Amino acid sequence: MDEHFSGFGAYVLYAITAAMMIFIIAPLLLVMAVSVSDSYFVTFPPQGFTLKWYIKVLQERDFLEAMRLSILLALSTTAGSLLLGVPASFALVRGNFFGMAAMKAFLLSPLIFPALVTGLALLQVLTKLGSEDARVNLLIGHVVVTSPYVIRTVVTSLQLVDENLEDAARTLGANRLWTFWRVTLPQIASGVAAGGLFAFMVSFDNYPVTMWLANSEYSPVPLVLMRQLVNVFDPSVPAMSTIIILMAMVGVMLLEKLVGLRRALAT
Amino acid sequence: MTSDEAVAVVGAQPETRQGSWWRPHLPAGLLALPMLVFLTYFFFYPAISLLFSSIQTQNSQGIIGRPFTPVHYARLIHIELYARVFWTTLRISLITSALATVLAYPVALVMVKSRPLVTRIITLIVIAPLVVSVVVRGYGWQLILANGPKGMLNWILMTLHIVEAPVSILYTEKAVVIGSLHVFFPMMVLPLASALGKIDRNLEDAARVLGAPWWKVFLRVTLPLSMPGFVAGFTLVFSLTAGSFVIPAILGGASALMLGNLIEQQIFVVYDWPFGAAIAVVLVGVVFAVNGFSMWLLEGRRLRRPS
Repeated sequence: MDEHFSGFGAYVLYAITAAMMIFIIAPLLLVMAVSVSDSYFVTFPPQGFTLKWYIKVLQERDFLEAMRLSILLALSTTAGSLLLGVPASFALVRGNFFGMAAMKAFLLSPLIFPALVTGLALLQVLTKLGSEDARVNLLIGHVVVTSPYVIRTVVTSLQLVDENLEDAARTLGANRLWTFWRVTLPQIASGVAAGGLFAFMVSFDNYPVTMWLANSEYSPVPLVLMRQLVNVFDPSVPAMSTIIILMAMVGVMLLEKLVGLRRALAT
Repeated sequence: MTSDEAVAVVGAQPETRQGSWWRPHLPAGLLALPMLVFLTYFFFYPAISLLFSSIQTQNSQGIIGRPFTPVHYARLIHIELYARVFWTTLRISLITSALATVLAYPVALVMVKSRPLVTRIITLIVIAPLVVSVVVRGYGWQLILANGPKGMLNWILMTLHIVEAPVSILYTEKAVVIGSLHVFFPMMVLPLASALGKIDRNLEDAARVLGAPWWKVFLRVTLPLSMPGFVAGFTLVFSLTAGSFVIPAILGGASALMLGNLIEQQIFVVYDWPFGAAIAVVLVGVVFAVNGFSMWLLEGRRLRRPS
């Protein structure tokens, strides 16, 4: 391996690392294993092999409705947070005005604020406003939580843009919008994509904001799963969970392909 | 664009480059306006308004208003049940972040200093669960820790005859710590790995060449230089654990309630908005205090003084 690790210390390091990898993967693998168990209750060790729980889940109206709602919500959240976040990132990188640092801190503040409290506070204000459509309320709440992620990824990639290229395009007669579209955007595309993907995944999994703003008519996937977890004891719950795990893995692969995981998560 | 403008752009002085594209300065700042207004209206204002409800009175119709009163905070301190939830929350958050530090350090070290392939695999395993719903991960731990012989852990322990009777971990604080550790572990590994990656290898090499054994190199060079990552990770894990709801709800049950669960009960079951708001304010206060302390540590460079 590496010359930096040698002797007894190296064994301890590798042992702890390996143990932690197992610790991280174990619950997810177990959920997947139990989802194909041919028994009427979730038990360990899983017995036999069947896909009937997946068939059951894919026929369950509650779950399908929730899936549809969650995907639509995540898509609109992505659009909303990009629309707000990308221009704001421009302001933060290109602007040169009084109070910039304070503004950046303000725009990123939902990241350190406990999301549970963000959702509660929003519920109170939206109730006072008489905003009763849960879908609208959820969208607002999710954009509050996800738009700072867009700022983080887009600001990082904007700082790497070569402004000389923009000047060149402008000199050659392109207007601002055209310059942005053809010169700037391609250079920050990976940052925008990472921000958008983050927004989608955070929205899809969000619980602490969603739990306040959803209602019985419009319940996204995490809430439905939580309800099932308490009420249902057959392997359809792990089957649902496995579908969610697989979707998340597709997201991670996309992120890795688009920008690289470490870069996407760099703070 | 007219040729005059083109000349103006080409002829711009280097020191006005900032404004050459978004000339003058004002429009660039304006681009932040939509998000600024949005967050002011749907984040900042609600937060302030919640703060106000926490010191107001709710009448029998559920309307919140005057008189101002500190009674909700007093309740949180004086009623033992609520005070206990507060201390439980602090204890669970503290133990989780401490455990995460000790366990993440080796992982981050191996992640940073191994061959690219190993680094890639570890990164993937650490990050991937981050995008899996917390509910699913909590459920996974529920299956592992389940009390009685049907739980995976108990099944393994009993099959190997390590214990004769099943152990009870689910619905205790231990289960909440285990679940939180699983959920927030990446938040500790990533800042640590990024801090470790920034350390100049020459410093460690120099220490080694001068005869320091590996543990001394670690204690005197690597560890002090990685402190910023440690502080950032600790703060993140602590804040996130303190504000969690799902993991204590799934793994803690009634015996390991945290502030988040108490807030939910007050709002959805008791309908006591001012008290729920007061608990929320206390939670935010705890998170801000920890964040403020870590910023003080990092920005004062108190961690980087040469030894």
